[in-house]
Amino acid sequence: MTVTRLDQGQRYRPRMAFLKKIETLMMEMQSPDTGIKTQTQTVMVASIPHAVTGNDIMQWILQRLQITAEEALHLGDLFVKYGYIYPLQEPKNLTLKADGSLYRFQTPYFWPVQSWAADDTDYAIYLAKKNIKRKGILEEYEKEHYNMLNQKINYKWDFVIMQAKEQYKAGKERKKEDRYALDCQERAYWLVNRTPPGMLDALEYGLDRVTDPSENKKNTMEFYRREIMYYQQAILKTRVKSSVSLGGIVKYSEQFLSSDPILSGCLPSNPWISDDPDFWDLNAKLVEVPTRMRVERWAFNFSELIRDPKGRQNFQLFLKKEFSGENLGFWEACEDLKYGDQSKVKEKAEEIYKLFLAPGARRWINIDGKTMGITVKGLEHPHRYVLDAAQTHIYMLMKKDSYGRYLKSPIYKEMLAKAVVPQEGVKKSTGLFGRRHLRSSPSPIILRQQEEEAKAREAANTVDITQVMSKLDRRNQLQKEAAPK
Amino acid sequence: MVKEECKALLDALNKVTACYRHMVLTIGGTSDSQNLREELKKTRQKAQELAVANRNKLTTVLKDKTVSKEDKAEFERLWVIFSTCLEILEIDMRRALELGHEFPLNVPKKHLIQTGMSGGTSGVAARAMSVQNMKYEAEHNIDVVDLKDLENEINQVGEMMYEMEMKVNVPQWTVEAKQDPGAELKSTISVGASSIGMISVEENKSFCDISKVLAGIIFTAVLIIAIVLAVCVVKLS
Repeated sequence: MTVTRLDQGQRYRPRMAFLKKIETLMMEMQSPDTGIKTQTQTVMVASIPHAVTGNDIMQWILQRLQITAEEALHLGDLFVKYGYIYPLQEPKNLTLKADGSLYRFQTPYFWPVQSWAADDTDYAIYLAKKNIKRKGILEEYEKEHYNMLNQKINYKWDFVIMQAKEQYKAGKERKKEDRYALDCQERAYWLVNRTPPGMLDALEYGLDRVTDPSENKKNTMEFYRREIMYYQQAILKTRVKSSVSLGGIVKYSEQFLSSDPILSGCLPSNPWISDDPDFWDLNAKLVEVPTRMRVERWAFNFSELIRDPKGRQNFQLFLKKEFSGENLGFWEACEDLKYGDQSKVKEKAEEIYKLFLAPGARRWINIDGKTMGITVKGLEHPHRYVLDAAQTHIYMLMKKDSYGRYLKSPIYKEMLAKAVVPQEGVKKSTGLFGRRHLRSSPSPIILRQQEEEAKAREAANTVDITQVMSKLDRRNQLQKEAAPK
Repeated sequence: MVKEECKALLDALNKVTACYRHMVLTIGGTSDSQNLREELKKTRQKAQELAVANRNKLTTVLKDKTVSKEDKAEFERLWVIFSTCLEILEIDMRRALELGHEFPLNVPKKHLIQTGMSGGTSGVAARAMSVQNMKYEAEHNIDVVDLKDLENEINQVGEMMYEMEMKVNVPQWTVEAKQDPGAELKSTISVGASSIGMISVEENKSFCDISKVLAGIIFTAVLIIAIVLAVCVVKLS
């Protein structure tokens, strides 16, 4: 039953431009003066005309297209594989042999066409006919196909058998020689379109396409209207000059060249080559003493610092001295909200509000009134990105303000001095009996637990200025209360 | 009664479709000629008449509510056969149109493909039209003139198929075939007549025969040796 609906399926064959080109060549080959000379093939008592030798085909292609012998042979071979020419003496061997072996041209009905694939129903009819002719002797793969088709198109099976019988009877009305030639043609066609196992399927093209390449689409007003809109919007897009962006890339590459492990080698040694995992151990996330390369990278730009967990740790130390540790804490909490569980979004957002944003909060961050207004409004319906505006503000604050001072601070300089430069690795000898010590790194679950514990300890230990101030205030208040008593 | 009529009509359509397929196979080959194009035209028109007759008969039966369940199943089966036949006919007609455009007969520069066919298709056409001999009466440029008609007829067939789908509600996949796989082998068609057909014998077949013969010989030899030994044993003891 046909139901017209928007077809989203992939069911079009791709463009096969080579078919038309081969067809023109085929038709030129038939010319009595410039074409290929034909011979007659004698089969038993009959003689069937229009056989050509492989050598003649190759010579004709060479002469017509002016290409090398190798190319001509390959091209001729393709003609045979696509089914335009079929071999007579070894029907299953679809290759072109540049000697006296005979070939014949395939009838145009059996030429491959882009718009139609070889149909299953036709194949079933062919197999049924072959069954009748050979009294049940089919090849193994043909038998399998027969049974498979019987199940697949079972509802058409009566028709298949009826049609096979009729076609067989109709074929009897032709001359013996023609019947033989027809048999050869059909067999060659199905060898090309339903290749036996082990043979190369030359017409295979992968997946079907979504759009029909041979469709002639009439462009309506709507189409042109949409096109104009698209181009107008494209013009309005802001673009960076290529000189500027290329300059940026060059600067970036120059800066990071020395820290790239593939381009500039890595110390102590590349673990994939020397089987020595020291490189990974030394560059672990929260290692005690980071490498010098890593610490130097923090000075390139702010995003490098904030990306590296060790860098963040160090930066946090610095910020605590400056009494702006809550900034980084807020930033980290926002990241956690953005990338954490969807189910915990609401409670996390509330916690962050209570801790950082509420007036009189324990770790109150300093953002301007407008951003605060937007954030508070957004928190009525919290989602992952509700704190984006505030987070960006704090990020820019840290970048423009604290980062510069951090790079000049003694904390950073100390870290730089402490940083280790690993020695060029020596290839470790394989121990007794060639056995290597296999060390396994700690499980990621354990690592995560350790991180969370560290964070909790941090949170408990942070003494914020507001807390201090509030403690001082309370002490004063108590003293005041105590005093009058 | 109605069933037999339907079956007969369907058989006729089937026959004409098979003959049409045979004729379309020869377009563009060396047996192509004006006669072939005329035969194609006549066969096609006959096929269309039969198709219309079939459709009318089957639609009246299928719309009839008084038909029994088994009969209804049988008519649905016939309907599926009819629609498949029509699909094949349409495809063949489209191919004929394409090939007709590619291989016009009176253009001196365009040569026909040397396919090895030398005989004509008049026998096939006669079988399709159910006449003894074919009469050719068309003009000599029928190959070009006919193409327009062919296009129209393809559209007609397409419309007919669409109408059929819309009017009659027969899900194709629910029909079960009556014939088992391999049913065509049980037919009483005489196969041995075409001697040339036997020329292209599979190599497997000959190998199978040889191996069978060899096995038989070895078996009989072993049997004879066993008998001789037994006789010797009896004699000596």
